[in-house]
This record gives sequence, structure tokens and C-alpha cells, in this order.
Amino acid sequence: MEWRVKNRLTILAAMVIGVSFSQASAPSGYAQEAPVSISFLTHWPPETVAKLTKAASVYMKSQPGTTIQIRAVPFADLLTTLRSQAGASNTFTIASIYDLWLPELVRDSILVEAPDANAAEVKKYWGGSAVSAASVGGKVFGYPNEIDLYGLNYNKKLFAAAGIVEPPRTWDELAADAEKLTKRDGGQATQQGFGFINSWAAGVVHPFAALLAANGGALIVDGKPALDGKAATQTFEFVQRLINAKVANPTMGTADANTTGPFLDNFVGGRTAMIIMANWWESALRTGMGEAAFADVATTPIPVGPSGDMSRTISYTWLTVVNAAAGKPQRDAAWKFLSWLNGPDSGENGASAMGDLLVSMGILPSRQSDVAAFSQRLNSPFLAGYVSQLKAAKPFPVVLGGQEFTDALQHHLEAMQFGQETAEQAQEQAQRDAVSILSKAAHQ
Amino acid sequence: MKKAPKRIAQCRLEVGRGVIKAVLYILVLGLSVAVAFPLAWMVLSSLKTPAETLRSPPVWYPASPSFEAYAKVSGIIDVQRSLLNSVAIASVTTAGILVTSLLAGYVFAKQSFFGKNLLFALMIATMFLPPIVTLIPLYRIIQTLRLDGSLAGVILPNLASAFGIFLMRQFIAGVPDELIEAARIDGASELRIVFQIVAPVVIPPLAALGLFAFVYHWNSYLWPLTVLQGNDGQYPIVLSLSRLLSYNRSAINTNLVMAGATLAVLPPLVLFGFLQRSFVRTIVNTGLIG
Amino acid sequence: MTASGRGWTVVMLAPSVGLLTVFVLIPMTLTIALSFYGWSSQTPFASARWIGFDNFKEILSVGSVGRDFRQAVGNTCIYAAASIVLILPLSVALGLLVHQSRLRCATALRTILFSTYMVPMVAVALVWSKLYSPTEGPINQVLGWLGIAPLPWLSRPDTALEALVILNVWQQLGYFTILAVAGLTQIPETILEAARIDGARNLGLFWHVTLPLLRRTLLFSGIIVTINAVQVFEPVAMITQGGPVGATNVVTYHIRRVGIERSEGGLGSAMAMILVIVLSAIVSLVFLAAGRRSEK
Repeated sequence: MEWRVKNRLTILAAMVIGVSFSQASAPSGYAQEAPVSISFLTHWPPETVAKLTKAASVYMKSQPGTTIQIRAVPFADLLTTLRSQAGASNTFTIASIYDLWLPELVRDSILVEAPDANAAEVKKYWGGSAVSAASVGGKVFGYPNEIDLYGLNYNKKLFAAAGIVEPPRTWDELAADAEKLTKRDGGQATQQGFGFINSWAAGVVHPFAALLAANGGALIVDGKPALDGKAATQTFEFVQRLINAKVANPTMGTADANTTGPFLDNFVGGRTAMIIMANWWESALRTGMGEAAFADVATTPIPVGPSGDMSRTISYTWLTVVNAAAGKPQRDAAWKFLSWLNGPDSGENGASAMGDLLVSMGILPSRQSDVAAFSQRLNSPFLAGYVSQLKAAKPFPVVLGGQEFTDALQHHLEAMQFGQETAEQAQEQAQRDAVSILSKAAHQ
Repeated sequence: MKKAPKRIAQCRLEVGRGVIKAVLYILVLGLSVAVAFPLAWMVLSSLKTPAETLRSPPVWYPASPSFEAYAKVSGIIDVQRSLLNSVAIASVTTAGILVTSLLAGYVFAKQSFFGKNLLFALMIATMFLPPIVTLIPLYRIIQTLRLDGSLAGVILPNLASAFGIFLMRQFIAGVPDELIEAARIDGASELRIVFQIVAPVVIPPLAALGLFAFVYHWNSYLWPLTVLQGNDGQYPIVLSLSRLLSYNRSAINTNLVMAGATLAVLPPLVLFGFLQRSFVRTIVNTGLIG
Repeated sequence: MTASGRGWTVVMLAPSVGLLTVFVLIPMTLTIALSFYGWSSQTPFASARWIGFDNFKEILSVGSVGRDFRQAVGNTCIYAAASIVLILPLSVALGLLVHQSRLRCATALRTILFSTYMVPMVAVALVWSKLYSPTEGPINQVLGWLGIAPLPWLSRPDTALEALVILNVWQQLGYFTILAVAGLTQIPETILEAARIDGARNLGLFWHVTLPLLRRTLLFSGIIVTINAVQVFEPVAMITQGGPVGATNVVTYHIRRVGIERSEGGLGSAMAMILVIVLSAIVSLVFLAAGRRSEK
């Protein structure tokens, strides 16, 4: 090769290498003097991230010397990002996490306890279940932000076409209505009376857990799996009953990596009459159906099972936490920012900026003052059905090994959907897996 | 009289050959369309409106193609920066692989020392190792070196390639020993021999290795994801594509995702377009299997 | 060799051998060691607890851990085998088409085929997930035109893995076609002429003369298909996440989930060890079988 060309290439290569290595030595999250730089890791979509950035810039104006950077990753990557970035040199300071991950992150010393002032604030302004979901061993680890719960969404137009006036209140009514609402072609449903979801852990397990709760049961009692109890048996059998009646078509219920996919498309397209889902898919439904068709969607409390006394559902929360690996100045700056973000001064009319952000996505804020401030918005036909169940909602169990427990239960419930396991087999194996997973996690 | 049957036979043969040729032609055409279809669909979908992408049965051609999706993509991810990151990762890694493979290939092919074959076997064995096996400890090592979250952390472990060493050894072995001996007698240092005598002879396989390495590292997903997670300023284009997936909780994003995919696909395809003829000739003529 | 010659040897080997040692051999050793420990992936190595063969026992047991891993290994084997069965014959057929038909448009086909290999798997996965959509995807639409009922593709456990195999074949076929062409080009024309003079024609010529001479190419291709198949990650991560019912759970995805998401570093390392053992066994068997054959 000619020397001149080689020289040029060498210089170019050196430049590129230089650039790459300079990224490595760029100022990391550790600040030594007054200006503090913190980062906020989240999984929210771009519109919400834009709102958060706006709120952050408002805060930065009043607090010069603090810079806040927002980092967004897709939900499917959030947990792996949290774990692999935890000890990194340019690590995140604040993160929004799912409460199920809290015990293990605390066990691995990834998160830092909330300072007394912030902990007191949380205990004062949030409800009991939100506080306990944000605590481990009685110590508060972050600010709860969203609370999500499950209700029975149904399509009023399809109900009217099938001649059904009232949404179902009991399991028997649910099965009967589903049968009336199903249209079949060659043995498989083309219009689902009731839709199941698959290929997504929460979409499979949470509706099941909601039905179980409405039957007076629980997934875990006193730290031990209760999938072999009477309430659970009835729930497994009820699911089997719906599957056998072919009111659902499993291929219409698939979900993909970002919680969209056929299950969403089919409800949006009016091919699924009823489905148990959480409040946060409101924005997806709105954008998919348009305002006119979205007005046909309503929410009713989970139908009550034979062993249940009243309608119950399950809920889970997200919370914002602080990284233990961040330096002290950053941790302090982070807690200060979080207190402001979740406080009544950051939003309008006594609401918080966080509350405003959440409500814009159709998500329920958990701070009591926010619930009051947004009461009108939360009274929409879609959300009212969820808000009314808040009091009766039981939190999804938050234990060590919770994620793995959910994955195992998902496996068996999906196997039922596709006819690979019967209710009995699924129940027996799910209980066995659960016992082994939870005891292993407790001893690690 | 004898000529007539012969001419008829010849005629039949030509018609037969013509029919075969026509069939083959149709086959090749059909296959080309079928294979190119997914990429064509990707580009067409990127020009559709969100409503058109949700239509069932699907719409093939956008009624009025627009680049709106591309504009939106640029608003969500930093396309320019991601492409630059990809260029940095792919080109630096490739340069490293070419140099280290050339040097090591020369040693294994033309020099001898105690334990050479054993060392060679050991290096080559790593070629069969799936990256997942070493992923976690390797990441901890990069973390210890404080290179996590940076492009250097992505590039460093990949600067040597067992496959590259194997390839270069195969081809350098074919370089005539007399050439090298003559250079040694003339007093050239080993380094000079490698770069000035051997390298020009093995340019075809070097180019092939270069193209493969570049494309492989442009497309590489799992390792950059592990090292860079969360630091989207450093994301190469393939990781930024997955950032588009954080269009979570929203049904209508197909045209955006397709636009992003098109952007990620273009650079390697363009590079390939420039180099492909010489590249294919290299593999075909020299036989990569050696 | 002179002393300075040996000095040069070290200098020239140092970069590659050094890099491979630090970034491949050492992590490999760590993985082997960690498989005997209980270790949470975020914590320092020092916090690992020795548990002997417990990780392996758990993987071989009937619980969910073992079941999921065995399913992942099984799925990966099916994925690799199906890919080989589809890619090798197709690559030879297309190689013949491109190489011998002497049609100009065949060059265009070769370019198109090879270009699919250049495209990032991430983009491929995203595009094909839309193509496979049961109601909005063109594949089922085209099947409808041919009078075939729509297929569930990614939505059923019995078809999901096959759908990913088709994706894989589409992407890799071009590369292996080029290899086949290379192999075909290396067959001396004289041998083919001699066979033709002996009366061999078309199919017979191909089966008894061409194919055996392609054996080395096919062996190389088969091994590369297997290595690539074991590394499959993006389609699973971006589209199916291992579902439905774990039908598309593959080893790379599963080990990453166990080792990073669930932070069970020791268990993940043990799984990686088993993967390496299985892979080595398969590759060795293939080499042995090929070696014995060529002695004939």
C-alpha cells in the first residue's frame, strides 16, 4: 500500500481511537465540587420523557448547579440495565423500578434507603399499601409513583349487538356472556368473547391473580405459595372452563416485546369483547381506536368467584429509587429532586409534576393529593372503573424470587392456553415450582 | 436424406435448451423477488401512514408516500450520532482485526517455535465459543478497567479474532518461502517483511476479512448492549433501533420502526454495493476454505 | 532462529494472543470456576459462595430451572438442525443456479442473496415480525391468494420456532450460496469432463461426482451454520421473548435472563458450561465422522 494512503489511514484510525477512549474518560457521575450531575433512568415513551425533561429543566432553573439527565430504555431492557449498570462508572442516580424487583435489588445492596425526611414524607402522603410496596424490612426505599390495577375491560358496542345490557358480576355470568359474544369459524374463535394474553409475563399472570383475588384467594400467603388452596383450584378450573368453551383464541392473544401486538390489535379492532387488563393501556387504546371508538370501551370490576365475598383485584406499583453506588452529593441532590417532583409544588393546582406526567399516560398516581387533584380526569368512563377498585385492591406479592416465580407461573398458564397442560397438571406443577423458587431465593 | 433427421434432432435440442433457459430465467427472477421482498416491504412500510400499516388485509404500496416517519425517527433517536458510533466501532475493530490477524497469521504460517501448534490450536478453539459463555465475566473485567459505558469497552475485546488468525494463516502459508528468504537476506526486519512483502500478496483475503469484520461488528447487538446499556449517547445504530421500541404502550409505530430499520440497513448495504464484485470474486477465486 | 527473530515473534504474536487470552481465555476460566459457586452477578467476585455441584444438580433436576434450560437447549438444537437441513441443500442448489446457468440475471440474484447477510439481525427481526403478523402481514395474505389458510406463525408454540428458522434461513442463505459457488469453482473441469465422457449426466453427474467433491465446503458450512444458530439472540429478544410457552427460548437468551436479569451468576455459568460441553461433543463428532469418511 502506498505510504501516503497508509499515513492518512493511520491518522484517521488514531483519531477514531482517540475519540472512543475520550468517551471512556469523560467526566462520570462522580462530582467532586458544587455542580452536581445526576441521571434518571426510565422506560417511559418519548412523549412522557419529554414531559419529565421539561419538569427537570424547571427544577434546574431554581437549583443552579444541579444538572439532570434523563435516560430511557425499552421496558424489556429496564431490569437488565438496572442490574448491569449498577456498579458502572457512569451509572444512573435515580431509577424508576417495578416494585417486584425491590427485594432483590435491596438484597444486593444496589439501592440506598431513603433519608428520614423523605421516608417520613412518603409515610405521610401515601396510602398504606403503596408505602409497604416501597419498603423492605420496614424501611422506605423510594417514592411510589404509579399504581396499576386490573379491571375487566369490555366493548359496549359488541355487548349491545349481543343483547347484553349489564356487564358480568360473577364468574358464571362472565362465562355465559363470553359464550354469547363469541363468533367462531371452523371451531376457532374469530371474535373472542373473552381474551387471554400470552408471551408476556404480566399479561398472563396478573389477570389470573386478579381472578384469584376476586375468588377470595391469594398467590402467596405468609411468604408461602398458596396455589394449592381451594380458591386457587377453582380459579384454575375456571380458566380451563373458558379455554374448553373456546371463547378465546390463543393466537389472537400474543404480545410482543413492547407489550403491543395481536392482543392489543384485536381489542382495538373490535374482535375481542372482554379482556382483563390494567389501566395503563388507555393511551394505546386511545391512539389505536381513535376517540370515537374509544368511547365504546368501559371498565367494570373483576367478576366475583364462588369463594369470593366481593370484587377484588390486584395492584402493583412503580417507585423511584436512588442508586447506592452514586456519590453522596448526587444522592442528596437526587432525593431533593424527587421530593420536589412528587410534591404539590411542582405541578398545577396542588398536583405534582409526577402526577401530571402519569395521568397524561392514563396512569393512576398514588399520592393522595394527586388523586384528589386529578379527580375529574380520573372519573372518565374508562378510568372510573379502576379508581373504584383502588380500596379493594390487593398488592401483587413482592417477595425475593418474585420475578422468577411469575415466569414459572406464566409457563404453566400459557401451557393451559395452548392445550399442553390440564388445569390439574398446571396447578400442581406451578405450586411445586413456586415452592422451590421461593425457598431458594429466601436462602440466597 | 440423412441430413433431415439430424437437423430435426438439432432443432429439438435447441428448443429444449431454450425451454430450460426460460424456466431457469423465471426461477431466478422469482427467487430474486421472493428474497428481496422483506427488505422492499421494510422500505415501503416506512413511507406509509400509521393507519395504512394497521390495515388488514395489508396495504402494499403507500397511497401517498411520505418521509414523515424518518423525520419523527430523528426526533426520537440521534441518528447522526448513532451512525457515527457504528462507524467508529466497526472501523476501529476491523482495523485492529486486520493488523493483529496479519501479524499472528504470519508467525503461525512462516515461523516456528516450541509449542507453536498447541498455541495455534488453543487460539482457534476459541472460535467455536459462543459469546454468551464469556459474557458476564468479560463484562466484569471491562467494568474493572473502568471502560464500561464507553465505545472503547465495546471495541477492546474484539480487536483480535481467532477466525482472522485462522484465515490469514491459511493464505500466508501459500506465500512462497523464497520471497521471504530473499527479503531476510536483504536484511529486512520481520515487521517490514510482513507489511511490505507478505501483505500485498494476501490483499484479497485481507479485503474479504475486512468486509466480514466490518459488517459483523456493525450489526453486533448483544455485546454493545451489555457494555453500553443506558448510555444512549454511545449507542450504535442497531441499539438505537431498539430504543425506538420504547415507543411503549402505543399501537401505531410500525412505519417509525421500519424507517429506523431502513436507516440501520443502508450503510452496510451501500458499502457492500461498492465492494461486492471484487469481494465475491475473491471468495470464489481463492476459495475461502483454502 | 536468531534471538532478534524470536523477539519479533513475541512482538507480532503479543497483540492477538494477549487480547484473546485476556478477553476470551480468562473469562472462560472464570465461567468454569463460577459454575461451582453461588454468586449474584452484581456483587464482587469475592462474595461468591462455594456450593460444589449444586448448580449442576439444579439444572438436571425436574424443577422449573432444569425444565426451562433443557427446553432452551432442545429448541436451540432444533433451530440449528432445521437451519442446516434447509440451508445446505438450498445453498448448493442456488450455487449451481448462479454458477452454471451463465445467465446474467443470476448475478443479480447472487447480489440480492448476499445482501440479506449484510443486514443487521435487529432490522431483520423487526421487519419479519410485521411480515408474520396474522392479520396485517403480507405472508398470510399471499398464502391466501394461493388458497392456503392463514398460519399462526409466531403465535403458536408449534409454529413459532419454525417461523424463526425461516427468518434465519432467509438471512444466511446468501453467504452459504457464495461458499457453495466457491466450492463448485474449485472442482476441476477436467474431472467433470472425464465423468461426462464416461456417460454421467446431470443428476447422476451431480450426485456421484459433484457432491462428494463439495464435502469439505459442506462440512465447513454446516459448522458455521451451527455456530451461528447457537448465538441466535435478537429475534427472540425483540419479538417472542422466548414464548409462547417457552417454544422459542434459546440458550443465549435463557442464560442472559438467568445470569443478568435474575442475577444468578453461578447458575448461568453452569448453564454456559453445559452448553460448551454439548457443543464440543457435537463438533468433535462431526469432525470425526468427516475424518473417517475421507479416509475411504
